Amino acid sequence: MSLSLLLFILSLKLKAASKTNKKFKNYIGTIELKILIKTANNERGRLFVFTKGKVSSMKGANHVSDAALVWSDPVTAVRVMLKGTDEASFKAAAKGKLKVEGMAYYVQWFNDAVKIIM
Amino acid sequence: MKQILGGHLVGKYLREIEKVDTVFCISGGHIESILDSFTEYKIRTIDVRHEQAAAMMAHAWSVYAGTPGVCLVTAGPGFTNAVTGIANAYLDNAPLVVLCGKHPLRDDLKGALQEMNQIEVVKSITKWSAICYETKRIPEYLNMAFRHAVEGRPGPVFLELPPDILNRKIPLEDAPIPKRNNKKYTSHPDDEELKKAAKVINKAKKPIFLGGSGVGLSCCDSSLSQFIDRSGMPFILMNYGRGELPDNHPMSLWDCGNVGVQLGITQADVIVAVGFRFNWLLQSGAIIPPGTKVVRIDIDPHEIDRNRVADVGLVGDASSVLTHLTPFIKRKDHKTWIENLRNASYAFIGSELEAREVPSNPIHPIRLVAQIQKYVGDDAVYVIDGGDTQYFGLVGFTSKEKAGVMATAAGLLGCLGTGIPFAMAAKLARPHKKVVLLHGDGSFGFNSMEFDTMVRHNIPVVCVVNNDQAWGMIKHSQELSIGADRLQCCELGIRPYDKMVEGLGGYGEFVTKDEDIIPALKRAFESGKPACINVLTDPTVTSPATPLFYQSLKME
Repeated sequence: MSLSLLLFILSLKLKAASKTNKKFKNYIGTIELKILIKTANNERGRLFVFTKGKVSSMKGANHVSDAALVWSDPVTAVRVMLKGTDEASFKAAAKGKLKVEGMAYYVQWFNDAVKIIM
Repeated sequence: MKQILGGHLVGKYLREIEKVDTVFCISGGHIESILDSFTEYKIRTIDVRHEQAAAMMAHAWSVYAGTPGVCLVTAGPGFTNAVTGIANAYLDNAPLVVLCGKHPLRDDLKGALQEMNQIEVVKSITKWSAICYETKRIPEYLNMAFRHAVEGRPGPVFLELPPDILNRKIPLEDAPIPKRNNKKYTSHPDDEELKKAAKVINKAKKPIFLGGSGVGLSCCDSSLSQFIDRSGMPFILMNYGRGELPDNHPMSLWDCGNVGVQLGITQADVIVAVGFRFNWLLQSGAIIPPGTKVVRIDIDPHEIDRNRVADVGLVGDASSVLTHLTPFIKRKDHKTWIENLRNASYAFIGSELEAREVPSNPIHPIRLVAQIQKYVGDDAVYVIDGGDTQYFGLVGFTSKEKAGVMATAAGLLGCLGTGIPFAMAAKLARPHKKVVLLHGDGSFGFNSMEFDTMVRHNIPVVCVVNNDQAWGMIKHSQELSIGADRLQCCELGIRPYDKMVEGLGGYGEFVTKDEDIIPALKRAFESGKPACINVLTDPTVTSPATPLFYQSLKME
């Protein structure tokens, strides 16, 4: 699966959850937050926007965000994201294949939001 | 036959038996004879402007000087003003001794001045509380108070001394002065329990050591050093435990900040928690993955399984237990694990590390902290008070001093306003050390009148106000919860706190530019006066502590 497709599917799931999943709706509350997931070379990416309970998304890596999850390459990104564990992310970060730009806590918040719908 | 006033028995006991040389107080009619005894027995008094500060300073004295801090307050409002400080000491397990005036017993229930049932108020926030009814028993009661404050799990004690016993003379020989046994009684588990703990620790591939206030209160730097050296474990020392080993120790993870703590806890296979409570900051233990082995060491058996059932629990004084545990520990090297932890942490806090190095306009709070650290260095005591401010200070300051970096509002009471009293006590207890206080502008308001105390008693603390013109943590939390368009009671505006301190006789400067931070610090220290550098910082910056705080109060 390509990174772009994976991020697109994720955006659909998040949008659906914001309308139907009670636990997810409660978790995101009224937060206003923009999280970008992208590759370091800015070739692939997607912005996830949380606006007072609504989720929207835009393709591309060149968006302004509150925090960004930056992957060294799309293959690693897909492999680690499909695993969906903190341990996999930790190992990727330890190897220099993943970094956070902006506040790490927002990315953790986003990851926990994703865990609710997975 | 030599006669002695009841109040003078207090000073005599404090000085001769407990070797108390400093008491924090405000004067009051009910306690006059005790105050007079301080002149007689040469006990220094630090008289403050609000009893809250007296209780907080005495609490802080116990941390920085390592002996119980004593505060003396008068009856009624003197007492009620001190209550916040007593509650804070209770939740922090600090050996604070509160001596309090009381309305005359003679006038009980007659509408006496400042008559109230103080004991009932204070019972739930003290380890021990009592009223002394006989002059001759004053030394005996004081002896009990000090023993209760320090023995076992430390905590605040409260002793009421009514004028009926203080203002009466008795023959000195009628009031026996109890001897104080300074022997430290310790307990530690038997060898079988120690071996069980060692077995878990010796098998660990990714261990982490979490040391809390119990480590600091136990003064276990030597036993801790030997344990860390042998086990090869990376460690984080927090609260009063911080500085028991220096922040720049090669195995300390403070360079990774709070993110390093979170990663360490979630990725470790074994956690050794010593004198460390699994409270809300650790999501009451929920942050620890179910498969992680937990070894807990605590002086209080009730803590061992609190919020997480321990795989092995060792009850006893931290120093004593570590001393007995270390011989069972195999020498290990966890270099790869530590390297991975560091690399991953740095990958997550890269933006924060970068912000420390780059001048910013408006000034980023972490940049302000970095500039202070650059000028002052690690041979200093740092005190931090505030919400977001405490996050930036905790991760940005390093010290080689015991309790050298302390966020005083990060305790369980979350008690803003503790910074100034703690910084004053630090400077009094360690007069040759530089003491820097980083203050949020919101929390500055609670005890800033104590700059007058600093001026009167020549306590040259340098306070830097991280002025984001708001109750920042609340403001940013409200932005997350109720929306930026409905903020309530969070804006403070720009206020000349520096001028206020100047007006009280201290030194003040107002700073808005990055390049002016260090020169202002230099002038503040050179002034030799209590100082306030009021620094305007970026009001839009949020610390990671804010969303954590916001999330912790959300209900399903």
